[in-house]
Amino acid sequence: MKLLVIGSALLSVGGGFAHAQTLLVSGSPATMTVTGATAGSQPLTQTENSTTYTVSALIIQPKKVTAQINTNMPAGVTLTVLLVAPSGATSAGRVALDNIARDVVTNITNTLPQARIVEYQLTATVSAGVIPVSTRTVTLTLVNYP
Amino acid sequence: MRASLFAPILALTTAVAPMLASAQTATQTVTFAVNAINQISATGSPSVTVTTATAGSQPTDATDASSTWAVTTNQTGAKISASIPTAMPAGLTLSVNLVAPAGATSAGVTALGTVAVDLVTSITKVAQSGMTATYHLSATAAAGVVGSGTKVVTYTISGGT
Repeated sequence: MKLLVIGSALLSVGGGFAHAQTLLVSGSPATMTVTGATAGSQPLTQTENSTTYTVSALIIQPKKVTAQINTNMPAGVTLTVLLVAPSGATSAGRVALDNIARDVVTNITNTLPQARIVEYQLTATVSAGVIPVSTRTVTLTLVNYP
Repeated sequence: MRASLFAPILALTTAVAPMLASAQTATQTVTFAVNAINQISATGSPSVTVTTATAGSQPTDATDASSTWAVTTNQTGAKISASIPTAMPAGLTLSVNLVAPAGATSAGVTALGTVAVDLVTSITKVAQSGMTATYHLSATAAAGVVGSGTKVVTYTISGGT
């Protein structure tokens, strides 16, 4: 009977794990438009940092966040993302996005959700030409680390 | 009785294991665009003074190659034109020669007037600086002695698609 109680308690804790690991975003960033340049130099990079992500992990299982886009960027255009790391974790810094999952934050161990800034940068070379308004879906994924 | 003891543990194992391994996702939509960009700049304060001649010939042109210019465009087939706000005194001609950026074509030494003239054409998707702008001042003997004056040369980039 005692084992049954302990087993039930463990099961209850296990049910709580589903709520303990979290990955949320606050919304989508504002439109980024490359509009200017200093004569003789490549166009100016655009930065957008109005959104945040919230993350937490299980104490028994560190996590990492990966990022990828659904379709590669046009030639000459680069989209990077930087996720500020929660306490104890490590940010990969600015990561150029493509359709392959790239590590952006690793060793996430905080069990209480922490919100941090998501910063995008859009860079275009002159060879990219004029690019009409386009969209990409950025997928952030919380997976086990390492 | 044994089955009832291990059942919760088995359930815990099967419940927790997938959660430890499962991935969670969140998505954002990134909207972006690149507008047409055409920028030109010029540096330097050139000065040209006609001071001499070979006897029997018109005065010798004065030149100044101390200036440079720069351009950035992400369009195709842009051109640089230039003009001055008021005409030169009679007998004087102010000309300029812009070295072309990679892939473009310079018109060479071209006289400036109040109507814009093309100096460089076929400028396509380039960001380049440090290109020389050479000014020439020519005077005929009929111009006589002309006191110091200034002209603002306005460069315009246009025509790219």
